[in-house]
Amino acid sequence: MNTLTDNAIMLKVKAGELDLMGLLFQRYHRQLYGFLFHMTYQKEASEDMVQQVFYKMLKYRASFAGTSEFVHWMYAIARNVLKDQGRKKKLTMAGIAVDELADVIPGGVEVNGQIERKQAAQTLQKAMAKLKEDDRDILSLSRFQELKHGEIAQIMNISEGAVKVRVHRAMCQLKEIYTRIER
Amino acid sequence: MDCEKYEELFTGWINKDISPAEREKLEKHLATCNGCREELAFMQAMWTDMGEIATPEPSAHMEVKFRAMLDTFKTQEAEKFSFKNWLGNLWQMQPRWPMAYNLAVILVAFGFGFWAMNKGTNNQDKGQLQELSAQVHELKQTMVLAMLENPSASERMKAVSYTSEMKHADDQVIEALLSTLNNDPNVNVRLTTLETLSEMTRYPEVREGLIRSIKGQDSPLMQSAIADVMLKLQEKKSVGSFKELLKQKDLDNGVRNKIEQTISHLI
Repeated sequence: MNTLTDNAIMLKVKAGELDLMGLLFQRYHRQLYGFLFHMTYQKEASEDMVQQVFYKMLKYRASFAGTSEFVHWMYAIARNVLKDQGRKKKLTMAGIAVDELADVIPGGVEVNGQIERKQAAQTLQKAMAKLKEDDRDILSLSRFQELKHGEIAQIMNISEGAVKVRVHRAMCQLKEIYTRIER
Repeated sequence: MDCEKYEELFTGWINKDISPAEREKLEKHLATCNGCREELAFMQAMWTDMGEIATPEPSAHMEVKFRAMLDTFKTQEAEKFSFKNWLGNLWQMQPRWPMAYNLAVILVAFGFGFWAMNKGTNNQDKGQLQELSAQVHELKQTMVLAMLENPSASERMKAVSYTSEMKHADDQVIEALLSTLNNDPNVNVRLTTLETLSEMTRYPEVREGLIRSIKGQDSPLMQSAIADVMLKLQEKKSVGSFKELLKQKDLDNGVRNKIEQTISHLI
């Protein structure tokens, strides 16, 4: 079973082998959690949303066509869940003071010479938190989830050219906020 | 001025998500543009540092929660599925026209029934009233039976007097009253019970129970009170019991006289 592709597994789930969703959960729940966490910076809310995403994938399994990658479908659903949550209550960074972020986000392993970079990463983290949701969304997918522009285009249902422009704009925004905090 | 166009290629260049043609175009420009080189270097550093941003691990119970969710989902699906099948089978089982005809007949029957019921509302009301009063009666009995078990003597007395308000007592109540008559530790409760039972002597089991209890009573008050009741009832069957009571040596003298009188009256 472990050698099956994501799409093959999801198609089996669609055909009624619901238990196989467990395999996909094992493969992707960390990654999905990471994405949702970088969008909300709330651990419990992110965990709840991971459950919701998997629940929705079960419930709407019939809508999985198998023509595109499972991961893209998963992120598209995750983004919808985020939107729903955002509508219900402002789940965005607006509620969290940026200075509190250091408590929420664990530091990396401190190896000699890396302390400086870790500090840079922390500043960047603060800058990320101040980004607009759309910008953070596209940077999360591109940088943290390491998705190609073409894949993001599929998830967001926009053209690849538009993705390139938006990633670049988000990077510019990030740079602006970052240099402001640095100073 | 063209720099903006090239800048859009930066992230693609950084994470190697760029076509060879675009790559060549950008690198050619970089060779000639200082500003873009610096900008790209900064962006690249930022991109690398972003990789240092840590993500916390999800908690361990996430998988447990997922399993629970999956199980619930599976049972829900199974129920939905079997209900659908059942409906489907029902429809498939019979040819459809007869089925539709049956449905029509059922509807007409219901309609007629409804009409007839509306006409007969008066009768129905009476029936409901009877049913309701039966329910109230049953409730009263249950309450009395529970009260007879109450540790407080005054509560038990109240329960006994409630039974006299009942129009008809069933076996359970009579049995409970007789057991109170024989076993209640409080003489006042027993006296009240005797009084109540003497009103219910139309039931043969009450009369028999009273006669049986003559031998068991040790309080002089109770003994003479039962004698009074038996005299009133002219119950000849009680003579045997009274004679046995007379055999008791420690019988109160006043009571002895009274019982002897009672026996002579009854015979």
